[in-house]
Amino acid sequence: MKVRFWGVRGSLPVPGPKTERYGGNTSCVEVRSASGTRVVVDAGTGIRKLGKELVEEEAGHSDVHLLISHTHWDHIQGLPYFSPLYQRGNKLSVYARKRDDLHLQAVFASQTDDPYFPVPFAEAQAEIAFRELSDAAKFEIADVKVACARLNHPYIATAYRLTADGASVVYVSDTAPFSDILFEDEFVERPPSPGAALPAKDRQKLAKMRDGVVRLCQGADLVVYDTMFTAEDYRRIPHYGHSRPSDAVDICREAGARRLVLFHHAPERSDAEIDNILADARALVAGGGPGLEVEAAYEGLDVEIGKS
Amino acid sequence: MEIAFWGVRGSIPAPGPATVRYGGNTSCVSLRAASGGLIVLDCGTGARTLGMSLMEGAFGQGRGEASILLSHAHWDHIQGFPFFVPLYQPGNKFHIYGGAKSSAMLEGILEGQMAPQYFPVQTLKNMGAGIDISAIDEGKPIAVAGCTVRACMNPHGRAGALAFRIEDGPRAVVYASDAGYGAGGPAAAAVDLYRGADVLIHDCTYTPEDGRRYAGRGYSTVEDAVAAAVAGGVKRLVLFHYDQDYSDAEVDALCARARRLLDERGGRGIELQGAMEGATLKV
Repeated sequence: MKVRFWGVRGSLPVPGPKTERYGGNTSCVEVRSASGTRVVVDAGTGIRKLGKELVEEEAGHSDVHLLISHTHWDHIQGLPYFSPLYQRGNKLSVYARKRDDLHLQAVFASQTDDPYFPVPFAEAQAEIAFRELSDAAKFEIADVKVACARLNHPYIATAYRLTADGASVVYVSDTAPFSDILFEDEFVERPPSPGAALPAKDRQKLAKMRDGVVRLCQGADLVVYDTMFTAEDYRRIPHYGHSRPSDAVDICREAGARRLVLFHHAPERSDAEIDNILADARALVAGGGPGLEVEAAYEGLDVEIGKS
Repeated sequence: MEIAFWGVRGSIPAPGPATVRYGGNTSCVSLRAASGGLIVLDCGTGARTLGMSLMEGAFGQGRGEASILLSHAHWDHIQGFPFFVPLYQPGNKFHIYGGAKSSAMLEGILEGQMAPQYFPVQTLKNMGAGIDISAIDEGKPIAVAGCTVRACMNPHGRAGALAFRIEDGPRAVVYASDAGYGAGGPAAAAVDLYRGADVLIHDCTYTPEDGRRYAGRGYSTVEDAVAAAVAGGVKRLVLFHYDQDYSDAEVDALCARARRLLDERGGRGIELQGAMEGATLKV
């Protein structure tokens, strides 16, 4: 199984000299099984370059399964610029968590409606299907087994575990740690007051959610984790719904995962700062004993796991 | 007046080593009037860095005031709005103007981007700053930041995009992004808007060859930009809104081509530059 990173940034794309090395495009990761099944997780601006490649190389025979963690802009804003949509013969299946208040197809249709985008979704030439998922869904995409878990993020996000070729990769983005705030559909205006205890109901929900994520990461060969925040960011804005590298390390250790990829870098983070964050995370892991490799996602990073 | 360029790209931000010099952020230009008033033209991703720079001054203390003129609501002209930090500082005041059938509809368009399925802030009402939103009546001048602003709708694919003329005393700057003229070039009303401007910031998305390939998308080629500048008899043409796939070297070539075309087509006296992220221009 091959994992390729096309976009590794959170919030919004950040072009410029300070992001040249890690890349400035928003979240998009491609997973390809040895038999050729193509699953893409999230459609941030990174998906545009993948699309150009598919149009050239597969000329109307692309079959893409797109898993959406959640529909915040940085995870869907590249989709209208995914050129296989406009080429006859291609197939695109979009999967995301089912909501009671909004049909998944409507979320994407509004994105390309007048006055926001010149080509409405209905005019795309590819064959497009939508599939809405429950929080703990398990299903198969050809030879790729998919399992889901709920994450702790405003308006709720989904983590995905993909298993094929005897290996597993887990995508955990976006999520806050499972301790200080329970995120659901409401706008969280300010951080909790220091020392304020969470209601027991929220604590139980968070503990259950955390167990679900640890289970999803159990023995994974590769875990891609939202580590947008530094410890200082988390002290200041815990109510924005993102994790620190130490949160990811804790989950990976508990789950016995082999390799952690720091992902969803903050827009303000320069290449040099990400180098330092990676070095700190590696030092943290080294202090806790051997067994977990850590790296920081960059655009163009390829990881091979299992047989291919 | 001082113009600053924060995002000069069209369609979608284009990060990467190939765009480092001209910049990869989508459309956003600021204009500081002689009175000190601030006008922001479009809110592509360039608005994020503009916002951070403004927070170092009065906007950081909730004492800032600015007017935002939106040419149209395609993503590359509004996607930086949720990330424009001064909007989150209580006390700051923003006056937003754009093209729509009514002010309520323009507000609805901006709210659509903030909705909870797309952005965690969920609504403009959670942003903190004072925001008022007005639909612009084409042709009717409005007073903005001590300047007079007139607008004219240019054709842009199936839609339209407003071009703005900002007059500050004797000086005039025109912003005409996303202009997809018909075979006859800019309409008389557009030429009238451009007439004699000190600076014309004009859509220059494509080379003539790509323009033919992507006809119907509603963008200008370098030939269209030159024709608009010559027809309007402007003093300086600034090329803007480059295609997301053009590298710095390709934009260099586009600028060189514009110079040759100006010289050949009656614009020898027109000064020229390619908009570059981070550059400023005094008028």
